[in-house]
Amino acid sequence: MSIVVEGLEKRFGARVAVTGLTFEVKPGEVFGLLGPNGAGKTTTVRMLTGLLLPSSGRGTVCGIELGAQSDGTALRKKVGLLTEQPGLYERLTARENLTFFMRLHELDETAAWQRANGYLRRFGLDGREDEPVGGFSKGMRQKLAIVRTLLHEPEVIFLDEPTSGLDPQSARTVRDAVAELSAEGRTLVLCSHNLAEVERLCTRVAVVKSHLRTVAALRELRREGLALEIVVEGEAAALVPALSSLPFKPAAHHEGSRLKVMLADEAQAPDVVAALVHAGARIHSVARAARPLEEAYLELVREEDAP
Amino acid sequence: MSFSFARVKAVLWKDLLELRKNKGMLWSMLALPSVIVLVPLGIVWTYVRDPHDPNLRAMALYYDFTINTDHAARFLVDKVLSDWFVLYLVMPVFVPILISSHAVAGEKEKRTLEPLLSSPVTPLELVIGKSLASLIPSVAVCLIAFACLCVGVDAVAWSLTKELVLPNLMWTFGVLVIAPLFAFFGNGVAVLISARVGDSRLAQQLSGLFVLPLVGLAAGQFGGVLKAGPGYYAALGAFVLLLDVGILFAARRLFDRERLMSRWG
Repeated sequence: MSIVVEGLEKRFGARVAVTGLTFEVKPGEVFGLLGPNGAGKTTTVRMLTGLLLPSSGRGTVCGIELGAQSDGTALRKKVGLLTEQPGLYERLTARENLTFFMRLHELDETAAWQRANGYLRRFGLDGREDEPVGGFSKGMRQKLAIVRTLLHEPEVIFLDEPTSGLDPQSARTVRDAVAELSAEGRTLVLCSHNLAEVERLCTRVAVVKSHLRTVAALRELRREGLALEIVVEGEAAALVPALSSLPFKPAAHHEGSRLKVMLADEAQAPDVVAALVHAGARIHSVARAARPLEEAYLELVREEDAP
Repeated sequence: MSFSFARVKAVLWKDLLELRKNKGMLWSMLALPSVIVLVPLGIVWTYVRDPHDPNLRAMALYYDFTINTDHAARFLVDKVLSDWFVLYLVMPVFVPILISSHAVAGEKEKRTLEPLLSSPVTPLELVIGKSLASLIPSVAVCLIAFACLCVGVDAVAWSLTKELVLPNLMWTFGVLVIAPLFAFFGNGVAVLISARVGDSRLAQQLSGLFVLPLVGLAAGQFGGVLKAGPGYYAALGAFVLLLDVGILFAARRLFDRERLMSRWG
């Protein structure tokens, strides 16, 4: 296993930032870490990269025990972290920024530059190496930060919001690079608010909100529950109030004449159809639809907030 | 705990490179040394220009009523140089504050601290690298300023003194031994304060406040309250050395990854 954590917890004084983290990440897996702002995702990543020591619990990353290592240097040599902010030195050129990190990792600079040049070409940054980073666009900075993360060929790569603030084309380049890294057999942990991106890249996800809500394969997560796609005559919006009369009060989204109703159980489907017909709906079709990850995610993070 | 000189060198290289590219910082660094070279030179020049000016005799008598007033100008030249000597000790305190506050708290401001700490560099290597990046230019600036002052004073005062006024033993000891100790002290204070606050200007101001008593030392010397000689400065050097050792221990304890990340990450 690339990552194994068991009952991991981090407290800052009396405040518990995150607790009860138990999950495993297999080598070569793209694992998603989901949760709202302040849920403890970044704290989790910082514990897994040796930046913070866990307050309790156990874990290993790349076979190195968390907390037990003398100063985390061995762990940080094996993992790469792309932080939410690119964190580049703006007065320095791209070349100087990368050289600095090559030296911190004590890499053979000739070999490291060969790798770096490949990534720079891949991200369309070749030819810009000797320009100060201060003049780079947000997307270019993010891409350079990714190159910096990959310089020492980490076994496990943590990506915190890798496409945040990127234009669609750059975001796609980054996503393709993530997919390529995964194909190379690297383990990736992706923290993201972009659920579509998570759906596209990850095989399994952990949902965190102060504590671990679930760890599941995406397929399983979407399968927990059902979505009904109903096409009606006229505007579907007018029919939404009719659903609130049902005892299980299903969530519903509408767009034009289409109504998507989320159900916990298939047995609720006839009640939904009956309620709509009772409200005067003229139904053209009813079909099962894939339950979007967003729905499953929102349900999980809402669960324990309800009074 | 692993320790790598290569990583210390990397931090030193990066910080010096950033300093070289920061024109505003370079000008700020040069402002104080320029003043403490040019102002005493100007004063010496006014004494040498007309050594028999009766005002100089009156001034010399104010400082020492036993003086032979025929040598008032020479007395005043020596007096101004011994007064300004203390500023050559204080200057190396302020220049590292300027650099270190920026180098440590600046990493937090620029959000570069987390990527930096996620590399294999240890907090000790970071402190040493950043301290060297602050101490080397500070001590160099002090030595260059001292060299300029020596050349300038000897050139300006030669017609009066017919001998080299500077360097003398006290100045050489002060600039080569005490000034680096003061620089270490200023740097240590700035590093410690920078590790606790998130803003480089606040770190600069707090560090400045912390070392303010040293300015009192200079004021006492100028006002004639403090008649400091070589013995006094040697004792001062020993005292600052003790402070430096204390700061080293405190920095080792306070500058850790966990503390930096949980407060500022």
